[in-house]
Amino acid sequence: MIEARGLTKRYGDLVAVNDVSFEVGSGEVVGFLGPNGAGKTTTMRILTGFVPATDGTAKIAGHDIFEDPLAARRAIGYLPETPPLYPEMDVAHYLTYVARLKDVPRGRRKGAVDRAMERCGLADVRRRVIGSLSKGYRQRVGLAQAIVHDPAVLILDEPTVGLDPIQIREIRGLIAGLADSQEGGTGHTVILSTHILAEVEAICRRVMLINAGRKVLDGPLAELTRDGQRLEDVFTRVTLSDQAEASAGGTAEAAEAAQ
Amino acid sequence: MRHVGAIAGRELRSMFVSPVAYAILTLFAIVAGFFFLASVLGFDAQVAEAQQFRAFDYLRQLNLNDHVIAPFYGIMWIVLLFLVPGITMGLFASEKTNGTQELLMTSPITIWELVIGKFLAASLFVLLLVGMVGIFTGILFFFGDPELPKAASGLLGLTLVALSYVAVGSFASSVTRNQLIAFFLSLVLLLILWMLSIVADLGAGGGAIASDGLVSRSMRWLSSADRFEQMVRGLVDTKDLAYFGFMIGTFLILTKASIESVRWR
Repeated sequence: MIEARGLTKRYGDLVAVNDVSFEVGSGEVVGFLGPNGAGKTTTMRILTGFVPATDGTAKIAGHDIFEDPLAARRAIGYLPETPPLYPEMDVAHYLTYVARLKDVPRGRRKGAVDRAMERCGLADVRRRVIGSLSKGYRQRVGLAQAIVHDPAVLILDEPTVGLDPIQIREIRGLIAGLADSQEGGTGHTVILSTHILAEVEAICRRVMLINAGRKVLDGPLAELTRDGQRLEDVFTRVTLSDQAEASAGGTAEAAEAAQ
Repeated sequence: MRHVGAIAGRELRSMFVSPVAYAILTLFAIVAGFFFLASVLGFDAQVAEAQQFRAFDYLRQLNLNDHVIAPFYGIMWIVLLFLVPGITMGLFASEKTNGTQELLMTSPITIWELVIGKFLAASLFVLLLVGMVGIFTGILFFFGDPELPKAASGLLGLTLVALSYVAVGSFASSVTRNQLIAFFLSLVLLLILWMLSIVADLGAGGGAIASDGLVSRSMRWLSSADRFEQMVRGLVDTKDLAYFGFMIGTFLILTKASIESVRWR
């Protein structure tokens, strides 16, 4: 479903994402981990077409994000870190607007909006103005806009950040439900970024860890925690040893340069 | 281009949920009404004066087109210059502060669809304002008989000027995420475009630039002031129509380029 090859993003001298490649199969749920500033958001923004990669490319559901950007974007549902909401619109109007933008045909639009609202538990607030909703409900509207066109791929950037524990559990339940195959069809392919490790353990079957722009770990969750290791320990160990290596490499290079 | 309607429709609806749209409409109605009244009273005074002094030749020259409609439009043109930046400032800037830019740029829409949708929404709103000016003009037809073609050509001029303001304002809104900066940027751009012909006249008068030199001529060409006056006088020239088309096109292309450049930064 997702095929990323050599994704690199440079901002001047800063390398935000450095040669990241991965593949995600249909129906997989991948937890995208990494410390703050590791390049998670940038990677997701490249996949969704919000920022172009400096180098490398990706295919979403078989569509290249550079050669066929509109088809690639049609196949993606994206929830950015701040849900992209218009505070003055009501929920149903907003979702109908998004459905139009995402090319849901006119005849299926109402059904798509109703379905997204139902799945995200928004039926009671359909006529409420988004600006008057609580943070948890806004996050649900954000999730609903990501799934309204029933995309093959879902990209969720820290979907539970800033929510209270009950809201977090609800949103997690929603995401887990989206990943499961429903009513005959296959489930959505989901990439979910977070730094809450428990979240990954709760919903994801595969973990991808990036640090300082590079992918340092990629594998099934079960394998990483096989020897009774906690994901937290794995995360800390890999991140810290990677940082140590990087700084060691840096000094080695500096030493070489000095000679 | 099938997303243009969705984008324009949402924009218009949002304008009318906020009090800003109504404030602008009310303000404009009051200001237009005031200047309309002033133009009519001024005309009335001129007529009374001419009658008093039995200046029949002058009296014969007085007419509603040149002595009511022309000064009225001449002022409305400047009122729009200050109001349109207020209407367009949020077009793109608010999407950036809302975070909805991320929704738009990751949706299967083209940047042209976005730019044209936004331009269309703001244009329709501005047409409401021009429509009000049209209503005031219509009142004159009940009480006098101004020349319709001349009045229509002036109104067309006002419409074209207003649409070119919208294009300039769209561009200003696309380069920043701050609405206040967008407002002042478009105001400054519009003032410069307006002043160009005045500066050219002053420069030529002082001998700083040759009055028919390239600098002076291109400054005059870029300014909309003279063209608008021509249209109020009833002269619709294809060259002037082409000018407004050129201005609108250029600023919409600039808007598109500026949105694209954010992507590549």
